[in-house]
Amino acid sequence: MERPIAYDKLAREERFVRKRARDIAELRMAQGLSPMADLASRESIRERVHGILVGELQAMEGAGRTVCDFPEAPWEFTMDMARQVWDESRHVEIYLGLLEYLGGYVGEFAESTILWRCACAEDAAARVAGVNRGLEGLACDVFNQLIHIARKIGDPLIERAVDFVLADEITHVRMGSRWLNELTKGDPDRRRRAIEFQETIDERFNLGGVRLDGAHEEVGISIAKEARRLAGFTDEEIDKLVRSTQRSPVY
Amino acid sequence: MSDHPLAGTFSVEASARRIRNYRYAEERMMRTLGGWIALTPELAPKLLFGRHVWDCAQHADLWGRRLPELRAPAQQSEPAKPEFVQFMDLVDGREARHQTVERVVGVYRVLKPHLVATYHAHLAAANPVYEPPTRRILERCLAEERRHVAAATVVLERLLDGDARRRAGEWQTRLLAALAASGGVTGDTPTPLLATDVSGTDGSGDLVAAPASFDPNVITADLRPILEDHCRALIAGDVTRLGDHVADERRAAVLAVYDGLATVRACEIAAQAKIGAHRLIKVRLVGPGGVSVLQLQWQKRAGGWRVVDAELVRVEPAA
Repeated sequence: MERPIAYDKLAREERFVRKRARDIAELRMAQGLSPMADLASRESIRERVHGILVGELQAMEGAGRTVCDFPEAPWEFTMDMARQVWDESRHVEIYLGLLEYLGGYVGEFAESTILWRCACAEDAAARVAGVNRGLEGLACDVFNQLIHIARKIGDPLIERAVDFVLADEITHVRMGSRWLNELTKGDPDRRRRAIEFQETIDERFNLGGVRLDGAHEEVGISIAKEARRLAGFTDEEIDKLVRSTQRSPVY
Repeated sequence: MSDHPLAGTFSVEASARRIRNYRYAEERMMRTLGGWIALTPELAPKLLFGRHVWDCAQHADLWGRRLPELRAPAQQSEPAKPEFVQFMDLVDGREARHQTVERVVGVYRVLKPHLVATYHAHLAAANPVYEPPTRRILERCLAEERRHVAAATVVLERLLDGDARRRAGEWQTRLLAALAASGGVTGDTPTPLLATDVSGTDGSGDLVAAPASFDPNVITADLRPILEDHCRALIAGDVTRLGDHVADERRAAVLAVYDGLATVRACEIAAQAKIGAHRLIKVRLVGPGGVSVLQLQWQKRAGGWRVVDAELVRVEPAA
């Protein structure tokens, strides 16, 4: 089997429509919308849920490639990644259910492959830094906010289901922190490159000011400080992320 | 062999060797399934592979942990013969977008049924007095591999339309020959065992109910007629009518995309995605030269819906 694969080999059923993240955001903004769906209405929650669904699909695919691409990595690392594949497959099932519950259909909104591209990094340490710490950290923010909104609008089904997903994501971030340290032990250059990769992802997923440190109802994506602490991010790392959101004009 | 309760088929060393062979198969299968998830377009098999990667990882791990208890280094995989490696190479080489059927057949109609039969035979022969640690792992792996085969039977049946059934049969025959040439996972079986009948095993817990395919009725009533007319114009190659459906300022760019299209005999609306008030419509164009997939961006304007962008996203030459 080819290892690693080119990112354009990501395979989808025909019902999915793919579009660059930048093009989606620009087209939304040209219509006076925010760069990504907010959580202000049931329709926009559905769009957010669809975005999470394709994100979970790509997370499953990315973790699967990590299991495949690094046969020389420590066995426990492979075990963690294989576990993550299973978790993400359940998350896909959960979000398929939530999409149906919200009256949506698979393919209703365009899919960007920005998450998948991050999962195609050639170095295992960069993948766990970028995907497990950067993207799964973002997932903690998004899910924590969705749980809050669901509680506020009195939707226990969304609240309970997403809360279990959040618990898994916190575990995945912890895995990322562990393997970032272990895979780069004695190799500061590799560690630095992996962390820089994570920071570019953090910067990119600040989404031009959508992710901010603020109340759930007032910002596009609110930084989940407590969930991030549980996941093993230090206060210093959280402060650094908050500062980066204040200087992210690009999406 | 004596029927004394302490009589045994396998020595400690032979048992450890077999376990390294099993671990090789389970580990390799785990990596193969993991790699295939991204390469497989259909949701049902994609999610099936996602479910089973972790089970295979746990099987490999259980076998790997058993090894030191048999005076062997932990977590070591060992193929019985180079021919078994060749068999596995053959299985995992089917990675093209259109080869999902071959992927499912390779793992779920050949490799896993072979492991089920081998584990079953080993369990029947393993001594119940001094080999319970091995027997427990065999029992767990057996139950889970059977469940995997049962789940995949449902998924595969839904994939076997048109020519796929013939392809599945041919691929299975080729793999069985390669498996026989290898002597199976343990390398010592001239006619490798195969247990494809898992009737009575419930695989439903491993299946994710994939929603039905795209329903064109989700397209709004005012967009549908012009979209269908656009499809007819694509089949007819009617550039004037196509141009009428395109926004004035985008006409040249969109028609330039159409200019490169091969002859179209059928046009199927395959998807609709929303970005605000815009609609991204994917159409599948089938012709003698193969399949082309076009993605059209429609915007509602004063005169009605108009194409404002077109992109040729995939071309599949005819087989």
